[in-house]
Amino acid sequence: MSIITEISNKIRARSKSSQKKSEHLANSEVTEGAVYKALSSVIDPDLHKDIVSLGFVKKVSIKSSKVHAVVQLTTPACPVKEELKKQCEEAISKVHGVKGVSVELTFPASSVPKQGTQQSANGLVRVKNIIAVASGKGGVGKSTTAMNLARSLARSSAKVGLIDADIYGPSIPTLSQVGKPSQMDGALIIPPTVDGIKVISVSMFSQNDKAHILRGPMAANLVKQFLSGVAWGELDYLLIDYPPGTGDIQLTISQIASLTGAVIVTTPQELALVDVKKAISMFNTMKVPVVGIIENMSYFLCDGCSKKHYIFKTGGGKKLAQNMGLPLIGEIPIEPYIVKASDEGLGFNSEDKRLQEPYTQVTDRLVRELAILSSNQGSNLGSFSLTWK
Amino acid sequence: MENFYSIKEIWQKDESTLGIIWSDGLESSFDTVALRRHCPCASCVDEMTGKRTLSPAEVPDSVRPVTISSVGRYALTIEFSDGHKTGIYSFESLRGFGKAYS
Repeated sequence: MSIITEISNKIRARSKSSQKKSEHLANSEVTEGAVYKALSSVIDPDLHKDIVSLGFVKKVSIKSSKVHAVVQLTTPACPVKEELKKQCEEAISKVHGVKGVSVELTFPASSVPKQGTQQSANGLVRVKNIIAVASGKGGVGKSTTAMNLARSLARSSAKVGLIDADIYGPSIPTLSQVGKPSQMDGALIIPPTVDGIKVISVSMFSQNDKAHILRGPMAANLVKQFLSGVAWGELDYLLIDYPPGTGDIQLTISQIASLTGAVIVTTPQELALVDVKKAISMFNTMKVPVVGIIENMSYFLCDGCSKKHYIFKTGGGKKLAQNMGLPLIGEIPIEPYIVKASDEGLGFNSEDKRLQEPYTQVTDRLVRELAILSSNQGSNLGSFSLTWK
Repeated sequence: MENFYSIKEIWQKDESTLGIIWSDGLESSFDTVALRRHCPCASCVDEMTGKRTLSPAEVPDSVRPVTISSVGRYALTIEFSDGHKTGIYSFESLRGFGKAYS
């Protein structure tokens, strides 16, 4: 190679790199401001506000025209997370000059106790949502619903726990084949897990088939221990499978735990609805927001004619929801498969979509309602303890 | 869904006064000695008749809270320096009570 061509090559290379530089300068006009502006067109479907003013956009970084945005959603179980992510990506890619987009979704770590006050009830410190699954009447399928809701939440990659608060008739262990706790973390019991769900039940501490014959205060004490004496760790949702009725145990739970909300399970017939109204009235008295009503055993989907047979009555749950001004958040069919899977403790281990679907629908709705609740609650104190000086 | 009162801020105002800012922004002050004298628990109020069995004279002016903690999301409870700690003061009753003392 002659000296001349070498030099001209060098010059060409230099002009290329300066061209690159000017290109880079032109592209660096992609500003954070422009990205934020684009993202402010993305609206959270539940909170009806754009994600920028909600404070969901945590970070925007731009490197050679490639935009990386970190968006924090309220919960990993957020049913619209994929949709929101897509919308963010689309909004950013419309910004002039953007060559690449990556959107990262994060979820808040558990809340830090507020200044000057301490969070009480130690086992529950890092639990974000505590949800009561209750009904006035027994036998409406509370435990089955609670167990399957827990499974459904866990499948959406949320961290889930489940307390079987039915001291006199515990059924969660039958529904889940969960083991027994074998270890302690200091004074706290480490709960066994099944399908990724931390579970505690009174039947883990007794021999099979032996009845728990206890007076009210003793039963209430046991539930107290399930709440604050168990190493729940960091949880997105802790479900409490309530015993039927409005007694000692229900009262104790509502006093110890700062319940985020309650869901009411019922069957369609009038008789069940009468008791359900009492349960709702109890939660109103304890200032626990009732998130919605789940109608269980709504209908039987015939495998022969594919018709929905309304065995109990139609629309009981809907009527109740209207009367009480609460949303009906789901209708779960009578399905032999649910019965079989429940009795065998299998639940969603089967990939049967028919079984999963009604519960997934309920969970999505529940997660949304809870997100709305917590955004309305804003800066209000949950549990507190103030020491006088 | 009903709109419930909850507490936004709770703090010690002075030696014997408790301050609360409610979720709707209203600020209330409570004389803690008066709170002790109006304790709603079953040993201070007859459960059947609703008549107060605790006479105000039984409570010295020197009584003070030791700790104040939440009860679920509807009430608070106060442990007093005289050892009494069974009263559960619902937010609803405090809203009514606070007006007289704010």
